[in-house]
Amino acid sequence: MTVALAVPDVLVARAQAGDEAALEALFRAFETPVYNLVRRMLRRPEDAEDVVQETFLEVVRNIKQYRGEGHLWGWVRRIASTKALMRIRRDQVRATESLDDEPGKPGMHVGANIDLERAFEHLSETSRAVVWLHDVEGYTHEEIAEQMGKSVSFSKSQLARAHARLRRMLDQGAQA
Amino acid sequence: MMHCTMEDLGALRAGEASVWARRHITTCATCQAELELLYQRVAQLKSLPALRPPRDRWPAVQATLRAERSRRRRTVGAWTGSLALAAAIAGILLVPSGQGGKLHAELSQAKQQSATLEDSLLQYDVEGRVLSGRAAAVVAELEDRISVLDGTLAQQEQSVQDAQLVRLWRERIGLMRELVNARATRARYVGL
Repeated sequence: MTVALAVPDVLVARAQAGDEAALEALFRAFETPVYNLVRRMLRRPEDAEDVVQETFLEVVRNIKQYRGEGHLWGWVRRIASTKALMRIRRDQVRATESLDDEPGKPGMHVGANIDLERAFEHLSETSRAVVWLHDVEGYTHEEIAEQMGKSVSFSKSQLARAHARLRRMLDQGAQA
Repeated sequence: MMHCTMEDLGALRAGEASVWARRHITTCATCQAELELLYQRVAQLKSLPALRPPRDRWPAVQATLRAERSRRRRTVGAWTGSLALAAAIAGILLVPSGQGGKLHAELSQAKQQSATLEDSLLQYDVEGRVLSGRAAAVVAELEDRISVLDGTLAQQEQSVQDAQLVRLWRERIGLMRELVNARATRARYVGL
């Protein structure tokens, strides 16, 4: 999903002045693209909802600092993706999740007629995040590495491994 | 025969592939097909339908923002309350006689009560204390009403009769009591 959201400057100015109706209008304009972005990155829907809320709280708290440089959606998207990645890191620390894909986990069996969307959901959150940010949102490996606090080669290898896994899952699904 | 790895294919897509991979892809039908599949997967990912949030999170965002605003306002309110108390004490000391004097005394008393309630509120209004969304909304609404009233008082303090000011200050006391009760109830509930 590509997003080309144009928000009138006057709406941003009203939001910066603390106008609650304008803030709600911004929320309404961005809630679906933000949710879609973070839901694609995160496995649990409730986590994605929480990140949407955290994102907008940060947007509202910092809206006065937005100087109109670049598209507002780019600014909001950056906040949302950073928060989603923070949640992935936090969960990894808690669960010591492997950064690799997770074969053998419950629900990882891939049956017949699997489509790309389902296959994508079977990737680890780290892989999902890298694939989505790079292939759909158009982030560079340098940007992803910076946001994740990892190296560029980490981002590249995650992307390659994720695509290899998607390829296998889709192939198995087609053969089953 | 050696084929491109997925990293090679990704590098080819990005125009960053090695010399070997660039040469190989021109002659290997298998790797050409793999590269085409990669392009197709990415195109499919881009065209996936937008996932929509199952619930409206704006009320929760709004309640949190209002609660934060209330906390900021309370910090300012504490100063306002102290000033009102000082003004009330000064008013008592300088109270005139007659009907005007009675109204003036009532006004001073109202200001003093309001200041006392402001002080009471401080003990329940600790920064960072968690309120439920509903409690935060109630508190935020009371705060907003008090804020509007304060704006009216600031505008009219010099221009209206004492009787009207007494009425406004009593209204403020009523709202402040509700606010203290809301905070106190919450504090009791969570055992703080």
